[in-house]
Amino acid sequence: MTVTLRINGSACRFHGDPMTPLVDVLRRERFLTGTKAVCREGFCGACTVEVDGEAVMSCLRPIGLLDGATVKSIEALAPGDTALHPLQAAFEAADVVQCGMCFPGMVMSLAPFLRENPDAGRNEIKAAMVGNICRCTGYERIVDAVMNFLDSQKMEQANG
Amino acid sequence: MFDSMERSLTVAGSIEEALAAKHRGAAVLAGGTWLMRDPRRGVNLPDVLVSLHALPALFTVEIEKDQVVIGASVTHAGLARQLAGLNGFDAVVAAANGAANPAIRRVATVGGNLCTFDFAAADLLPVFLAMNAVVELRSIGERQVLPIAEFLANRRVFLRDSILTSVILRRDVIASAHARLPLRRAGDYPVAIVSAVRGHDGRVRIAVGSVEDVARRWISLEAVLAIEPASVSADPERMRALAAQCVDFRGRDGIEADGWYRCQVLPTLVRRAIASLSAKESVQ
Amino acid sequence: MVDVSSTVMDLPRRDARDKLRGRTRYTNDRARPDTLHAVLLRSTVPAGRITRLDVSAALECPGVHAIVTGADAPGLHGIGIADHPLFATDTIRYHGEPIACIAAETEAEAKAALAAIVLDVEPLNPVLTMAEALAPGAPLIHEDWRAYEVLTEGGARDGNIAWEAKSVRGDVDAAFARSDVTIVESSIAVGRQSHVPFEPRVAIGSWENGRAHIETSTQVPWTVRNVTGRVLQLPPGRVRVTVPPVGGGFGLKFDATIEPITALLARMTGRSVILENSRQEEMATCLCRENAEIRIRSAVTAEGEIVGREAVVLMDCGAYGGEQVFLTTMTSHTLGGSYRLGAVRLVSRAVYTNTPPNGAFRACNGVYNSFALERHTDEICAAIGMDPIEFRKRNVLGNGDLGPTGQVFEGDVLGPMLERMDTLRANTGTLEHAADGRLYGRATALGTWFIFVGPSAATINLNADGSATLVTSGVEIGSGTMMQSLPQIVAGQLGLHPDQIVVREADTDAAGLDAGIGGGRTTVSIGAASVGAAAEVREKLLRTAGEMLQTAPKDLVLRDGRVEISGRPGSGAAISTVVAHAQATTGPISGTGSFTAKNTPAMAGCAMGHFIDALDIPVFVVHEAEVAVDPDTGHVDVLAYRVVQDVGRALNPRAIMGQIQGGVVQGLGYALHEEVTITGDGRIAQDGFETYRVPLAQDVVPVVADLYEGAPSMGPLGTKGAGEVPILAVGSAIACAVSNAIGKPVYRLPLTPPRVLRLIHDIEPRPDYPHIAPNWTDNTLR
Ligand SMILES: Cc1cc2nc3c(=O)[nH]c(=O)nc-3n(C[C@@H](O)[C@@H](O)[C@H](O)COP(=O)(O)OP(=O)(O)OC[C@H]3O[C@@H](n4cnc5c(N)ncnc54)[C@H](O)[C@@H]3O)c2cc1C
Ligand code: FES
Ligand code: FES
Repeated sequence: MTVTLRINGSACRFHGDPMTPLVDVLRRERFLTGTKAVCREGFCGACTVEVDGEAVMSCLRPIGLLDGATVKSIEALAPGDTALHPLQAAFEAADVVQCGMCFPGMVMSLAPFLRENPDAGRNEIKAAMVGNICRCTGYERIVDAVMNFLDSQKMEQANG
Repeated sequence: MFDSMERSLTVAGSIEEALAAKHRGAAVLAGGTWLMRDPRRGVNLPDVLVSLHALPALFTVEIEKDQVVIGASVTHAGLARQLAGLNGFDAVVAAANGAANPAIRRVATVGGNLCTFDFAAADLLPVFLAMNAVVELRSIGERQVLPIAEFLANRRVFLRDSILTSVILRRDVIASAHARLPLRRAGDYPVAIVSAVRGHDGRVRIAVGSVEDVARRWISLEAVLAIEPASVSADPERMRALAAQCVDFRGRDGIEADGWYRCQVLPTLVRRAIASLSAKESVQ
Repeated sequence: MVDVSSTVMDLPRRDARDKLRGRTRYTNDRARPDTLHAVLLRSTVPAGRITRLDVSAALECPGVHAIVTGADAPGLHGIGIADHPLFATDTIRYHGEPIACIAAETEAEAKAALAAIVLDVEPLNPVLTMAEALAPGAPLIHEDWRAYEVLTEGGARDGNIAWEAKSVRGDVDAAFARSDVTIVESSIAVGRQSHVPFEPRVAIGSWENGRAHIETSTQVPWTVRNVTGRVLQLPPGRVRVTVPPVGGGFGLKFDATIEPITALLARMTGRSVILENSRQEEMATCLCRENAEIRIRSAVTAEGEIVGREAVVLMDCGAYGGEQVFLTTMTSHTLGGSYRLGAVRLVSRAVYTNTPPNGAFRACNGVYNSFALERHTDEICAAIGMDPIEFRKRNVLGNGDLGPTGQVFEGDVLGPMLERMDTLRANTGTLEHAADGRLYGRATALGTWFIFVGPSAATINLNADGSATLVTSGVEIGSGTMMQSLPQIVAGQLGLHPDQIVVREADTDAAGLDAGIGGGRTTVSIGAASVGAAAEVREKLLRTAGEMLQTAPKDLVLRDGRVEISGRPGSGAAISTVVAHAQATTGPISGTGSFTAKNTPAMAGCAMGHFIDALDIPVFVVHEAEVAVDPDTGHVDVLAYRVVQDVGRALNPRAIMGQIQGGVVQGLGYALHEEVTITGDGRIAQDGFETYRVPLAQDVVPVVADLYEGAPSMGPLGTKGAGEVPILAVGSAIACAVSNAIGKPVYRLPLTPPRVLRLIHDIEPRPDYPHIAPNWTDNTLR
């Protein structure tokens, strides 16, 4: 099957098994290795990307369903030499990254959630993270950093 | 992974095309959140598939005066969003919002949840059972509408040649509640589920999921309730006690929990469901 | 002792940006289009004899380049004893054991070719439990155990007992025979814990100029080098190991596993070959924290003095000895540590079974030995009617007290730490009200672990731009040590900013021997070696500067990138100028340093079969948990968690807090959610994220921690490793708190809702060990 889609702004054509998971197309064909295939079962969120503006798990998205779709992976969030996305910057500032393997997915899943829920509290953030496992950090400091990010966004809005 | 380069996927442009493919033996691919994990379960992926994702008619939730029609391709997230605030439908919203995790809920469909034979923990089944849902099945030249319990009793046979196209829920309900018990706070398949619905006749209907291989109504508890004064069905503690006398399930043993545990927690889930049912009724 | 005033604290991590952008390339991100993909044929029975293995048809399959089997890698490796082949050759000892490996153009082609391998196996009756393994007449898992090469002398071995270590101090029989003592006995059982690092074990092998080059996700590059040499029967110097950033280790990657296979395949094919465990393989063959069975008895006076203690600890090493052989040592130091004991005898046995081999996991057997010890301590308190915190305060080891092997402990640490916990609790308050009608329990637990020292080497090259390159075999596994502590320490020594310290990725061709990243040793051992290297650099730098500035080196100081005349800020010359001068006159400036254990003495004759007789750097923790238990469903909700941790000196309090939060949460997984069970056919039942439940965000609470500084340490700047021990006492604190909440003894972890509900209903079976003899001596060899 041939599938045409846009990945991080460029048009791509895939030819092969329609049940190939999107994550393998990203990693193996496009060498976009920022998207991680950790469980391949929908539980860990390390493979999260945006498909047509929604955060989904790319390990369970068959490429055959993505003809005409627009895909954005972590590499496109702050490309090249541009500044980090403010959420990434908040994680960096709070020194929360450890092995780091969960973070691309964490960022790709939390960024759209926070865009839509700028007033989220701690519990809502944790509920939104139920599909993002982190084995290293114990979560709480990630949540702290997200709260800092939301606070600074509110400050910015109030001031500007 | 690339185990079959010949694998074919038809993206059906009409329901007829989908039915024809199905008739020729294609497996239906909906959100894929179950199917994509077939290899992990030691099952080969189907060689021939048909997808319904280009059929907009199956993506709608129609809220009519006395019924709600849910298309098979509606996702869990879509279902929860569209039914939010609809009187009496809290259990459906809770089931759709409580299952899996947010990213899965954005792609996993109602049709997929109802049509996965080997999945005992499906969240929507007990709610739909307690809601007295009917399902619509289509096969070439035929449209069949039947109660969900009947569908579940014989899913394999029905789905041999048919596609599930929609689920229809009547609006003659006063309130509903969905009590699911995962082992962690969330993110697990529930080890037991109790859905409770109070109909316009004042009666409470109760269904249980994840305890046996397929969800079912709790007939013995409903029968006992029928001879109790109506107030009992609003009293969480008394309902818990009644439920404890009626546990007639053969709990399935799984890696995560044994049958004993699933049965043991049912009365508590009944209590929780009734408490939230009563809370909703008092708000209304 | 070196000055810390010049050390930058709370350094941010230099690797965070790339990790956040998805640019960091872990080993499993490094397959190139021309890399071959390897897939393992694994055993599907737990025990059997291979009667036929024919790979010729598979070699003809499309895309296949090479296939290796045991015949290609005859050497055995192991810890203490060499009992482990790379592939099962004649005998299959566990479900999932590698039998052959195929390298092909694509993963799909390699997988497809698996079906063409002809394998005939005569299944044997498996020995799946330690009870079966120790039963009289049990089949031998290693029939040739006597013939194995012994790599470390001293352990007793016999049949299915891979290794036995024991320690005996004082007259235990006499202590138990006293008329004024109460005797308390506890039996404890724990299952395995799977590490679940996000990056599985993965390696890329290539063959370059007659040598193997393995890029791998490991904590122990030197072990990989040496094991590869052993099994391939090559001089280890013909193996080079380099280590990209590692996506989590937690001890799983403290052993060589699949790496040598990639070297073999690379040699055969002349291509680079990647071998990566799928998640299912990773979990099904995880070198877990082992399951264990413990019986412990103590004789205690009415005043709470522990006059005698004895224990038997059985550790399941699985099919091969591995890390458990070493860990038998740690039973003495953990189960026999923490408290002042009259007479004591402890035996610890690593037992073979036909199950996947176990390994090292953050604080290893310390975690469950602490659980056993602290539950036992609470049972002692119940038996003699003493408050558990009071009992602990009276009995914890203090300055000059003897450890189980007769080691003399320095300093009062645990006592003051218990006081600090009181203060912490007073400051935070308790959360009984949050139990909201559920059963509430609180408990304080403590534990002793150690910093694993051993050899490390470091080289520092000072560059003409004023930067310095630090070359070690240290690996960044996520804890941040290589990104934070080491640049901080070196910069502090050389008057530079940490940003000026370039840290070289581990490469066994570039740096000297290192025991690996684990046991909390990086800051201490590599740190100390780096301080040594910095001292040499400093000495050379000051000598050159002294000549340039016509000042005696003793009057010079290194500060802010300059060599200054003491007391005259801004005087002297920039370090870069001095380096340039040296390069032109005496040659480039570099220095080397090295470090190893100091071998703290134990009492003669106390420790038998031990790899470490005494702890060079003990570490202590005090933990406290508050829980609410739902009596109807058995769910345990952690309401609050507090930690007082001995850190020696905190260079990066913020990073240590991160390690504590992460370690405690892994401990909560162990205590409450993470269960591994072995099926009737010898498999790990929980081989994916659906069934193996690690804690999720909603399952955790913020850990409140107080860092206890000032305990003695031989580490540089007085540091101790802080990343390993946060998990140590979580199982104990939670188990004791749950026990207090439900009013029933807890003997087993994890406390999953079904188990807690069975406890509440009195239907959870108590551990029963017919294979542990009532008389302690009957549980020992010789
Ligand atoms: C991480 C994770 C967590 C989960 N947690 C939960 C949970 O808590 N609760 C829960 O209920 N479920 C859970 N699930 C299961 C989830 O996969 C299913 O419930 C989901 O609804 C399946 O929908 P799908 O659209 O993805 O189905 P698919 O995978 O596309 O299909 C599933 C099956 O249904 C058939 N099928 C699909 N649509 C139709 C149709 N219209 N007519 C005929 N046959 C059809 C397919 O042929 C296939 O056999 C979880 C899944 C994951 C990955
Ligand atoms: S890899 Fe997709 S959810 Fe884990
Ligand atoms: S930082 Fe390692 S998994 Fe999250």
